[in-house]
This record gives sequence, C-alpha cells and structure tokens, in this order.
Amino acid sequence: FNLIMGKEECKTMLDALNKVTACYRHLVIALGSTSDSQNLREELKKTRKKAQELAVANRTKLTSLLKDKTISKEDRAEYERLWVLFSSCMELLEVDMKRSLEIAQDFPLKVPTRHLIQTGMTGSTTTVAARAMSVQNMKYEADSNIDTADLRDLQAEITQVSQMMEEMEMKVQVMKVQVAPWAVEAKQEAGAELKSNMSVGNSSVGSREAGFASICAVIGFFVIVIVALVLGYLVVNM
Amino acid sequence: MTINTLAKGGCHREQMACFRKMEKVIVAMQDPDMGMKMRNQRLLITVIPHAMTGHDIITWLTHKYRISEEEALHLGNMLVKYGYIYPLKEPRCLVLRPDESPYRFQTPYFWTSTRWPASELDYAIYLAKKNIRKQGELMEYEKERYSLLHKRINHTWDFVVMQAREQLRSSKQRRKADRIVLECQEQAYWLINRPPPGVNNVLDTGLERPNNFSCRVTLVSNFIIEACRKALGRNRVKSSICLEGFLKYSEQYLNHDPIMQGCLPSNPWISDDTAHWTMNAEIVPVPTRLRVERWSFSFTELLNDAMGRKEFMTYLEKEFSAENLYFWQACEDIRHGENSKIVEKVEDVYKNFLAPGAARWVNIDSKTMDKTLEGIKRPHRFVMDDAQMHIYFLMKKDSYPRYLKSDLYKNMLAKAIVPQETKKSVFPFMRRQRHSSPSPAQTATQAAEEEGLAKGAGANSAAGSHF
Repeated sequence: FNLIMGKEECKTMLDALNKVTACYRHLVIALGSTSDSQNLREELKKTRKKAQELAVANRTKLTSLLKDKTISKEDRAEYERLWVLFSSCMELLEVDMKRSLEIAQDFPLKVPTRHLIQTGMTGSTTTVAARAMSVQNMKYEADSNIDTADLRDLQAEITQVSQMMEEMEMKVQVMKVQVAPWAVEAKQEAGAELKSNMSVGNSSVGSREAGFASICAVIGFFVIVIVALVLGYLVVNM
Repeated sequence: MTINTLAKGGCHREQMACFRKMEKVIVAMQDPDMGMKMRNQRLLITVIPHAMTGHDIITWLTHKYRISEEEALHLGNMLVKYGYIYPLKEPRCLVLRPDESPYRFQTPYFWTSTRWPASELDYAIYLAKKNIRKQGELMEYEKERYSLLHKRINHTWDFVVMQAREQLRSSKQRRKADRIVLECQEQAYWLINRPPPGVNNVLDTGLERPNNFSCRVTLVSNFIIEACRKALGRNRVKSSICLEGFLKYSEQYLNHDPIMQGCLPSNPWISDDTAHWTMNAEIVPVPTRLRVERWSFSFTELLNDAMGRKEFMTYLEKEFSAENLYFWQACEDIRHGENSKIVEKVEDVYKNFLAPGAARWVNIDSKTMDKTLEGIKRPHRFVMDDAQMHIYFLMKKDSYPRYLKSDLYKNMLAKAIVPQETKKSVFPFMRRQRHSSPSPAQTATQAAEEEGLAKGAGANSAAGSHF
C-alpha cells in the first residue's frame, strides 16, 4: 500500500513541478517585452521559489524510493522513468532561470527610460502566475529593489539549482542509485498527446473553436435583438 | 554578463558579436522619442499593437545611421533573417520588403543566441504543442522530425507530452491577442532555429559545427574528471622562460617581418608591384639576403626552404654525407604522401638506405635500426619516424653548424641581393599606391581629382604669372 501511495505521490509532485515549470517559461518569455513590469518580476520570483521547493521535495522523495532495495523491478523501472522526467524538468528550469537573469539584467526596470521591446504583448501575466502558485489571485508587495537584490537572489538560486543537478547526477552515478536514462522507455507513443484530448479537452482543442464559438455567440445575439425589435414593433402597432 | 554559464562539460559560450550589435539596433528602435513608428495590426476582431511596416524600418535605419537606402535594406534584411523582427503576413518568408508589409519585434527570450542554442527537448515540446493545436496536421518535414525526436529522446518523451500540455494550458490564461502574438513568436523562433528543409540555416557555422547534442543525457561529470587529470599531468613551462624565448624570437625575426619592417622592394598589396614575390619565389637564380640569413636561424628554416635544401645538399655532397639528406627527404615523402604508395615507398627506402650494403647506407644506431626493421614488416605512414628523427638530429648537430661556417654559405650570403626600395612618387597627390587595386568608382574619382587639380594648378600658375 505504501508503495502505491509513494508512486501516486511522486506523480502528483512531478505534475506540480511540471506545471510550475511551464508557467515559469511563459513568464520568462514576457521578460524584456512590453508585458514586463514590476509585477512580472515579482511573479517570476514567487514562481521560481515554488519551483525550487517542489524540486527539492521531488528529489528527496525519488532518491529515497530509488535507494530502497526492496522494491520490485517494475516499480523500480517506474521510479527510474520518473527520475528521468524529473531531471529533464530541472534542465528546462535551470536554463530558464539563467536566461531570466540575463534578460532581467539587460532590461532593468528602475531606470529613467525603459527600452522594453514592443512585441505586441501588452496583457498582464497575473493569471499565469496564479496558476503556477495554485491561488485564485496574486498578491503583490511593492518591492523597490527588484532590479538589484532580487537579481542577486536569483543568482544564488541558480547556483543552488545547478549544484542540486550535479548532485543528482553524482548520486545516480556514485551512490548506486543506478538510473540509466537511455534504458527508460516512454509510456506514450508518438502522437499520444492527441489521444487524450478528452481530458485536456476544452483548453487545447478550443483555441480554434473558441473563435468560432465567439462568432456564433455574436450572431446569436444579433438574431435575438432583431427578433426583439420585430416583436416590439408588432406590439407597438397592435 | 555576470553569470557564469560554465555548464558541466560545456564550454563558456559567448554571444556572437554580430548578434550583440543587432540587439543594440533593436533596443535603439524602442526609444520612445527617436524610435520606430508603431501601428496597430487589425485581425478579425482583435487589435494587436506594435506592428511596423517594412518601409518604416528602412526609413528609420537610413535616418539613424545615415546610410544609403540600399544598405538600410540589407541591414533590415539581416534583422529579419536572424529573427529579431518577424513578418506578420508571410511568416515563412524571412525577407524585409520595403513596402507596407507588417513586421513585429521578437521578444528577447526568442532572440537568436549562440549562448543559448535551441535544444532538442524544446523543439520536441514545440512540435508536440503544435500537434495538439493542429490535431495532428503538421507539415511533412515536421512530422519526420517529430518521429525522429521521438526515437532519439524517447526516454524523456513522457515529459515532452506533459510539458507541452501544461504550456498550452498556461497560455490559455492570457487574453486572445497575447496568445496570437505568442504563437507567432514561437513559430518565428523555430523557423530560424530549425529551418524547413531547403531553407538556408542562418546559424550554420560551416564545417566547425558546434555539437550541441552532448547535453546532460550523457553523464558528463566523469569526462570532466578525466580532462582535469590530463590537464594536471601536462608539461608546463615557466612563463619567465617562455617569455624570454618569445622575446628572442621576436628580436631575431624583427627584420624579416614584412609588417614590422616593410618589405623590399615594395609591398605588393599597396604598390601593385609583384617584384617582392618574384624575388622570393621557390627557386630563383639569386636569393635575397634576408632569405639566406634566415637559413642560419635554425635548421628547420633551412630545410623548409627549397633553395636552402638544394644548397645544403651541394654542401653535403662535398662532405660525402649526402645520403642523410636523401634519406630524410624520402621519409618526409612517406609521411606526407599518398596512402596507396606507402608500402612501395617503404620498400624503396629499405633497399636504398637501410639494407646492409645499400648504395646510400645511413648510419643509424642499432636500437633504432632494429625497431625500424621490425616496423617495416607492417609498414605504415609513421614507421620511419624514429630513424628520420635520428638522422635529423645527426645533421643538425654535425653538418649544419659546419655548413654555416663553410665558404659555400658565406659566398651565398655575399652574392645575395638586397632589393632597392622603390622610390615613393614625388607627387604627393598621386595616391595610386595607397589603394590595393583601383575599383572603377575610384578611378573615376581619381580622374576627376586629377583633372580638378590640373585645372587648379593651371589656374594658379596662370594667376601666379600675373604677378
């Protein structure tokens, strides 16, 4: 029973980390553009802190599971697969953190004239950050040294993450938590993402259909207005 | 940049200088007062700001950098080609049109970068996202790459799918206009970093393609340890010693360097006079003095010069030790010659130089001789290396110093010519030697100049004669 719990827990934690990584990437893409703002920098800070927490939690859980010699072969294979997914996730996260430092340094906010790139993106990213933090609304603190202290923190965090990843690989090699990444087989075949559209459902397929749906709504609205006008005219004339 | 991108096993990558410059141009375009004129892009219902026409881009570049329109068009084209600006109407055609076609700036994350090359993992995630969005309707080449990636990074494919789904979900959180922009940005980025087949890859650095595939999938920490061990064992020379050597070398070669000392009779690149080259050709009846002097610097200088070798050979024949040089030349031929002829060449060398009672028997010590004879049984390119080295040092220690003291060399030195430096033209405004080869534009302006000056001189002399 414990083992099943362990697996489910791992998967949930990995999913959470995956979600935060995706949101973080989305936020970093907005850096340096006209979507950039004090709020965005704060969102980045909060998101990456959450990512780090999740990363540490994932790593501890997975290492403890992999060190356990009593688990069955299938379980072990599963944990190895999760480990590989986890390290790929950390790869993305590390690169994004490094890039966010670079871009944030290139485009400081607390200067008399900001030269943010006019990319056409003007909306705010608070909903993305809220999704990452799993909250309804984001709260912001007016932090005045977002350009300096925050970047120093970021640098420290990047070193931490890099160290963690090195340790992970060392563990995998040295401490006999033998994971051979190339031996892991994907559970999903090519094109698998198309099949489970049911669950992803409205969110992914919807992008084209959303436009269509909104046009239908507009037409429906006009039809109703015309009908109302006609009825009104008839009533008046009665 | 302050952060150290010294990834494990990776080298510290720098942003290519041309990209840094292009980035500066892009940032200059954002200036609120002097920057680009922005317009709005109208799609069916949405309005997206920050679009600009090709014509505006060219006008801005022409004004800002005070260049011709042609050059501005070229510069603008480069900005589009390298993805700093992407077209909105025909996204696959990365060309700057000087008309009303709309363009938009790319966000800094997606700027072309040699520091952050696009990874296979990212590309796989992008293709998976596109697959979901377009319900499997990818382009042919995208489908191929998708299956290739599926094979190549199969172990982490589940992550690819997970991340693709999550990225799509997070982009749903933004409003429609931003979503459209994001899609365009991503598409533009991947069109440049993974161009469709048949399109030039602008990031292709030719034969020295950096291999970015050795990422963390192969555990590189061991490689680092090995590399460090090897580095520790390397021979080191104290800088005081090697700097002394460097100083000596520089002093010795100072007079022989065409840049430092100028070349006689004149620098062909400037004066268009090829005398310097003809005088220093491989085989000339009389060599230049500098060349003969160089033969005394080191034995390699002498051997590398065809004429030097010839002279040395004449000297050795007088001393009856010419077989050494013949042997050395034959060994060089084996080392640098055709693969197919190696076996027969080695046979010849054995017959002529090494076999007991050979016509040109060379004097090699017994240990080297045994080793070489063993090696001849299985001949390869470097089988004669030890023997060649032995003979080389023999010549260097014995015959070479004597040659330098011999009459043959001294006569050569005395006979050697010192070319006269061509006199610089008396007329200071006849600037023909400054330009390496006159282009039609320059000859036209020169002709105009000369005419003008002639007229001026004529006018002056006429004026002068009045007084």
